[in-house]
Amino acid sequence: MTSTSESPPPTTPTFRQNLIRVIAVQVGALLLLWLLQSRYTS
Amino acid sequence: MRSLDWAILIAYIAYVGIDGIRRTKRSTEIEGYLLANRSLPWWAVGLSVMATQLSAITMIGTTGQGATDGLRFVQFYFGLPLAMVILGVTLVPFLHGARVFTAYEFLERRFDAKTRSLTAFLFLLSRGLSCGTILAAPAVVFSSIFGWPVAWSVAIMGIPTVIYTIVGGVQAVAWADVKQMVLVVTAITAVIAVVLFKLPVTPDAALHVAGAVGRLRVFDFSFDITQTYTFWSGLIGGMFLMLAYFGTDQSQVQRYLTAKSVDEARSSLLISAYWKIPLQAGVLLVGVLVFVYYLFMPQPMLFNPTHDRRVREAQPVEYQALASQFGAALAQRDTAARAMAARRNDGTRDAFRSAEKHVQDVRTEALALAARVTGESSRDVNYIIPHFVLFDLPVGLTGIFIAAVMAAAMSAVAGELNSLATASVIDFYRRWFRPNAPDTTYVRASKIATMIWGLFACIIASYAVRLGSLIEVVNRFGSFFYGSILGVFVLAMVRRSRATGAFVGLMAGISVVGAVAFGLPQVAFLWHNVIGAVTVVVVGLVVSAFSPAPPTPVAR
Repeated sequence: MTSTSESPPPTTPTFRQNLIRVIAVQVGALLLLWLLQSRYTS
Repeated sequence: MRSLDWAILIAYIAYVGIDGIRRTKRSTEIEGYLLANRSLPWWAVGLSVMATQLSAITMIGTTGQGATDGLRFVQFYFGLPLAMVILGVTLVPFLHGARVFTAYEFLERRFDAKTRSLTAFLFLLSRGLSCGTILAAPAVVFSSIFGWPVAWSVAIMGIPTVIYTIVGGVQAVAWADVKQMVLVVTAITAVIAVVLFKLPVTPDAALHVAGAVGRLRVFDFSFDITQTYTFWSGLIGGMFLMLAYFGTDQSQVQRYLTAKSVDEARSSLLISAYWKIPLQAGVLLVGVLVFVYYLFMPQPMLFNPTHDRRVREAQPVEYQALASQFGAALAQRDTAARAMAARRNDGTRDAFRSAEKHVQDVRTEALALAARVTGESSRDVNYIIPHFVLFDLPVGLTGIFIAAVMAAAMSAVAGELNSLATASVIDFYRRWFRPNAPDTTYVRASKIATMIWGLFACIIASYAVRLGSLIEVVNRFGSFFYGSILGVFVLAMVRRSRATGAFVGLMAGISVVGAVAFGLPQVAFLWHNVIGAVTVVVVGLVVSAFSPAPPTPVAR
């Protein structure tokens, strides 16, 4: 058995910004779907 | 299909094949052939990742599911963005940084050869089978609507795909994927626009009508593990499935290993995180709108033309009786839908619901009759969209949509073949038989492996038609192993885990998932991923705690 010597590079500020954007977009998408459901499903 | 549609279809298939080969930089080095020398831009990798996952099943089965079941299938993808985010900070940097060809190669560096070989073997088994079902989905539908033998349909899509994958390697696959995504999004957008234009009611009224019979119900918050698609199964089970699929499945891992850097690999996955849910919602919305369209236009009792013909011939009296009931039910539903579109209140809504239920009752009887006559389970849902595309779309757009379905199948299969060949050569041939051969040998072996897997997929495609719902078949194959393999990769990132723990954990995970799948079949398959991953991690850590530490490497 050998152990890996590679370690992941640190998270960059760009990537952290992207993460926040992804979460924001998903929350927006879910909200939109929720609005679609509540407006048209009775 | 009319001449223009055929011309578009043939031109597209020829273009993909020729351009895929033309763009290829001939490579005699294995890193160039299998990983494009890790040089592709993030956006091309990201589109390739999405295209590999988006198969013809999405275009035919998922749209059909939208027509019969509404939008709730989109819950399946709720865990995906979170999974992409987690992978971006965990496995992607490990795998890209390790400069490996396959995800399983990384496991040997961390654990041992047997863990690598077992996970690679499970990948080959599950992906080899699913590759066949991916090809089978459109082949069955095309053979039924065009009257071709299934083998012809398989060959029409399979042969060009195998050729450009063999000749061009991963570069041809990736660039064909980019074209496919553009075509698919164009086709979906155009179909939505055309349906909205052709509807005799306003889009707002159409959505109210669809919503009245639950087609716009997205969220199901019940925590019921026997329900396949709920908010929680999608968020938790789906997240585990996506973590396993995008993080440990070579067909996906190989896409982002072609990226220029770790950051570009991460960014490529974020494209899926941004666009997967909106894209799937759009695909399902096509189905919902087609459902609304057929409320106002004549629709067949059975969408599958082969089943329709066989029932008509075998049981003419019973068929005619059902057909006249169906005609009357459709007329009643048409009136009720128009009334509801014009004036929305409890009375018109209830009348429409009742009329829709009557139509569905007659159709259920017709489907049961078809199942009795043909001896096959009903897969009528997969024929709704092809029927609409062939008979209700304007000339030209039909060709574009059929080309998009074929492109989706071809690019998904190409990605699978490429990764199957990579795992076969790197994890078995190079690892166990020819560890020090020149690169030209491995490139040649990869081409031969692609051809063999292509042949295998075509053979499997002929048998997969007898299996159940096309969407679930593919996911079921994966769910048997995915969660357990994910568990091994999680262990690989835990410092105290040992090779014995990983291997025993993997065996335990597969056994437990198998026991649950057969012993408790009511547990929805998305939960198998959670069960497998958790079992592997728990058993792996417990066994590791009792395993001796590896010898410290001696510095030379």
